[in-house]
Amino acid sequence: MGALKSVFRLLGTPFRPISSVMARFLNTPFRQATAVLLFSYVLIEVGIPFIPPLFGVASAPVPNTVVLEYLVIAIVGILLWVSDNEQRWSEFKQPIHDVLVQPERRMARGALLVIVPGFIAFQAYTSAQPDISAPPSFRAIHPAPPTSITFQGEQMVLDGLENPLRSAGSLEEHYEVGKSIYYKNCMACHGDGLQGRGHYAQAFNPAPLSFQDAGTIAMLTESFVFWRIAKGGPGLPSEGAPWNSAMPAWEDFLTADEIWSVIIFLYEQTGHDPRTWELEGEEH
Amino acid sequence: MPKISRRAEWSWLQASLPVAIVVAIGLIAIAIEPLAAQGYTPREYGDFPVIGSRAAIWIAAQLHLFFAAFVLGVPMFAVVAEAIGIFSSDDRYDKLAKEFTRLLLVSYSATAIWGAILVFGLITLYPGLWGYLSEIFAPSMWVYVGIFFFESFTLYLYYYGWDRWKKGRAKWGHWGLGILLNLWGTAVMLIANSWLTYMMSPPAEVTPDTAPGMVQFWSAFANATWMPINIHRLIANVVFGGAIVGAYAAYRFLSAKTDEERAHYDWMGYIGNFIAISALIVLPFAGYWLGREIYEFNQQMGTTMMGGFMSWLWVVQAFLIAVLFLAGNYYLWVGMGRIPGAERFMPYTKWMLLVLLIGAAVWATPRNMIADRAEITAMGGQFHPFLGVLGVMSAKNTAVNFMILTTFLSFLLYRRANKKAVVSWEKTGTTIQGALFAVSAAVVLFYGIYGYFVPSIVRIGFSVYQVLAVIAAIILVVVIDVFMMRGAESRGEIRWGEMPERSQYALFILAVTFTWLMGLMGFARSGIRQHWHVFEVIRDTSVDAATPALGYASIVISACVLIFLSLVTFIFWVGGLAEKPVISGTAVGATASASADGD
Amino acid sequence: MTNIKVLGVMIGTLAVYTWIANAIPQIESAVPEEVSFSADVSPAELVAAGAELYSGGGGCTTCHGLETRAPNLLTDYNGEGTIGQRCGTRVSGQDCKTYLHESMMDPAGYVLEGFEPMVFQARVLSGAQIWSLVAFLQDQGGVVTVSGSDVATAAEADAAAPAGGPMVASNDPLEIMRGNLCLGCHMLDGEGAELGPAFDGMGSRIATDRIRTGIIDPALEIAEGFDHLAGSMPPNLGDMLTARQLEVLVDFLAGQGG
Repeated sequence: MGALKSVFRLLGTPFRPISSVMARFLNTPFRQATAVLLFSYVLIEVGIPFIPPLFGVASAPVPNTVVLEYLVIAIVGILLWVSDNEQRWSEFKQPIHDVLVQPERRMARGALLVIVPGFIAFQAYTSAQPDISAPPSFRAIHPAPPTSITFQGEQMVLDGLENPLRSAGSLEEHYEVGKSIYYKNCMACHGDGLQGRGHYAQAFNPAPLSFQDAGTIAMLTESFVFWRIAKGGPGLPSEGAPWNSAMPAWEDFLTADEIWSVIIFLYEQTGHDPRTWELEGEEH
Repeated sequence: MPKISRRAEWSWLQASLPVAIVVAIGLIAIAIEPLAAQGYTPREYGDFPVIGSRAAIWIAAQLHLFFAAFVLGVPMFAVVAEAIGIFSSDDRYDKLAKEFTRLLLVSYSATAIWGAILVFGLITLYPGLWGYLSEIFAPSMWVYVGIFFFESFTLYLYYYGWDRWKKGRAKWGHWGLGILLNLWGTAVMLIANSWLTYMMSPPAEVTPDTAPGMVQFWSAFANATWMPINIHRLIANVVFGGAIVGAYAAYRFLSAKTDEERAHYDWMGYIGNFIAISALIVLPFAGYWLGREIYEFNQQMGTTMMGGFMSWLWVVQAFLIAVLFLAGNYYLWVGMGRIPGAERFMPYTKWMLLVLLIGAAVWATPRNMIADRAEITAMGGQFHPFLGVLGVMSAKNTAVNFMILTTFLSFLLYRRANKKAVVSWEKTGTTIQGALFAVSAAVVLFYGIYGYFVPSIVRIGFSVYQVLAVIAAIILVVVIDVFMMRGAESRGEIRWGEMPERSQYALFILAVTFTWLMGLMGFARSGIRQHWHVFEVIRDTSVDAATPALGYASIVISACVLIFLSLVTFIFWVGGLAEKPVISGTAVGATASASADGD
Repeated sequence: MTNIKVLGVMIGTLAVYTWIANAIPQIESAVPEEVSFSADVSPAELVAAGAELYSGGGGCTTCHGLETRAPNLLTDYNGEGTIGQRCGTRVSGQDCKTYLHESMMDPAGYVLEGFEPMVFQARVLSGAQIWSLVAFLQDQGGVVTVSGSDVATAAEADAAAPAGGPMVASNDPLEIMRGNLCLGCHMLDGEGAELGPAFDGMGSRIATDRIRTGIIDPALEIAEGFDHLAGSMPPNLGDMLTARQLEVLVDFLAGQGG
């Protein structure tokens, strides 16, 4: 019997009646394949948004491009499954073959002759129709940083640069300084909880980043963060296009030490560790 | 035997071709030197009509590389197949090795021709760069030509001496020739690799002001990325050779007239697929090392590669690798239909397929989703709260390790399908094997999840543990299996040749995908130099200095693959004209033990 | 039929891959713009090139970013405004353009009171580059009067007489140092500026060979504690000294004991 039966068996007794009903209906590879495809669609579109709340994170829909990507994988998988066994393959093809040639399936054939071109026409129509929504954005969130930047008129080599405050003065002090700078300057967009949900966040596209996310500052060196703060949206390279972020270039408002202390605050507050430079000459 | 002598004449003509080409190039290169000395300065760039210089040199280099990879990969398993033939006294393997070598012979001239096209392309289109490189690498270029000469003659001896040195000690001498052939081939590759890796990672003391004559030869030769590229290419060549041989077998299978032929080429296709997939399993580790060296050489180059304008390339790469794994496994599962006893494993294939598909989905999940404005607002940013987690390296490493384990399981089940172990500890052995799978899967999963909670410098080390767990499990399971299946009873012979046609198309897709993937990775490797001929030393000042986007690159790559496959088809067809392989019906009836040796 | 099917599978696979690669974001890696000048260069282009040079390869900010070593050009100085505002009034009878250009061509000519002469090797830069710097400085609060013809004339002059040859003819170590503006950054017996490592006691701190390579190739090894100034010492001193002058300097510095 198909994959589905096993799935239902795994789900346990309460589902057994349903499972037996479905088993009776899903008795050919073709029907099973269709069912699995529908099931995976539901899983992707409805199932995945249920996962984040389990970890206490706000739910979100899956972008259409990703749904499409997953569905293509599912279709390829289903085709592989029905065809990896000679018997299943011929059983799978049987209904398709029947619809195409058998006289008693004339109705179905006729319906398909209407539905398929109709569907294609509909697709063509919707894709050609003018649309008011902005095009999907392709921007790279963490573009490659330059080797060096000019910070307030001075050359600053980013490659291998460490946060100078980590080796000078007390960390608590820097943290406190950074904290007050953050709340004076950054909070309005990046939010009280550093989750990128500040007062103005809703208005921006791209939205302000969440520093709590394991994929933002936790993946980056402090020098990268410094570069992004100092140069802001205007300093993004072309990969950051098509529309650059609204983040100001903070070098016009903050000193280097102030930026470094904000960086200390960001890491201390979120509990992330910055990515470190690899020691030169280290062998692995 | 007049027929043979006629063939020999024809072959010698063809045999001397590559050598003649290489000698001619050498002479021309030497002739150019005095011209430059007389105060004549060559121009920096030439022009190529219609497609432009960059595309022209790109196609020439890529096609040279395709053929070179093939003629380096095939001798490796020709030699292994010959050795298996000697040890097992199974004539099939010796015939297989000889047939591989015949493919080699014809591809060899194609390699030389494309090499000549590449060199002439460089001389006419990029004379400035060529002059610079040849000034630094002159001695290695002379050695290269010399080794190429020896390699050619070793190959002729190896192929034409096959039937003469067939027995006893002479056979071992012949096998030694095969080893020698591989050594020459590897040496040639190492030398050529040094030229191109120098362009990527010139030693730190070389600056734009350094005259090429002042560059220390050895430090330029053994530069930072040289060794990683050598290893990566060595393994990739085996995969590539296997994939092309598989496609060749598939083609011959589909056009076979007799059952004997079908059986032979079915078996050959299986061997090709086996070699390709088993070498593919270790390839990511070599690639990982290469990536690491690139990062260590220049942080910015590393970020350009992974996060910069090439970041989308890795999504495409993930897709291609998923196709490779799926096609390879699919071929095995379909192949189980011709093995008596395989029915008992059939119900499991769908679960293995599920693991592969989930792995593919994780791998293809982009970190930055392509989303429209409404979706971005709903997600609260460009990262999806759950799927974004799957976008980072931890998840992808975990996924690929699961895919490797699954593929290995497919091979194991395939190998065991028609056997019945007779040893008393069969149950215990199988339990231990199962436990090994479970443990390595658990280790992979543990480090995959734990990776999210540690700094990235620690996380990078985790992928090594994951890899080690998988490799250790593979080795231990194979060792147990070999002992367990000693003297195993057969559940029936494999019905070679009774293979549905669609399985053969899986082999074609495998070959096309691998070739294309090679082109894509070649683009990545040379594209990260961006607007430099020699990274941060010699700037590309030609009209084509900008590095093209992936779409354009994919068109060039597809064109290269198409040209390559057409030429290969032609070459194989010509090879088929020259000699009809003799297939004895008795050798084809595979016994269970013989196929076990093949694994 | 088989052939057609095989061909179909191959071309189909290739088509799918090509389509996917074309469907995803297309990012080209553009070449950073090279500064190039011709007679029809616009003032805006000159200013942009000058800005790049000023904060980048020209190394100007090494001194002009520090308030103590050189006057800041981009901000107000002594109530006279930014450089674009004050350049016209610095020397009577010289307009802004001439003043800026002259002060770069002859760094010791117009030294502001309280400062050391500018360590600026006009020969490091091409004539066109110097004009772009002038344009950039004029743009700081003033009107850009540098034109394409200035640039073209300078470029012709450069082509006619390539830079090279020693700055001074003397073989006296102090003359050489003053002539090549070494003391613009290094201290010797109370003369000079404390920007780079002092010449006093240099012979007892580092080996003779390192002094020599330090002059010829300053970027090779940076003295400890001076990393932030890497790249500010002119790399072309080797072209500015005769062999004898170099040896005189090396001997002299090696002899500076503690």
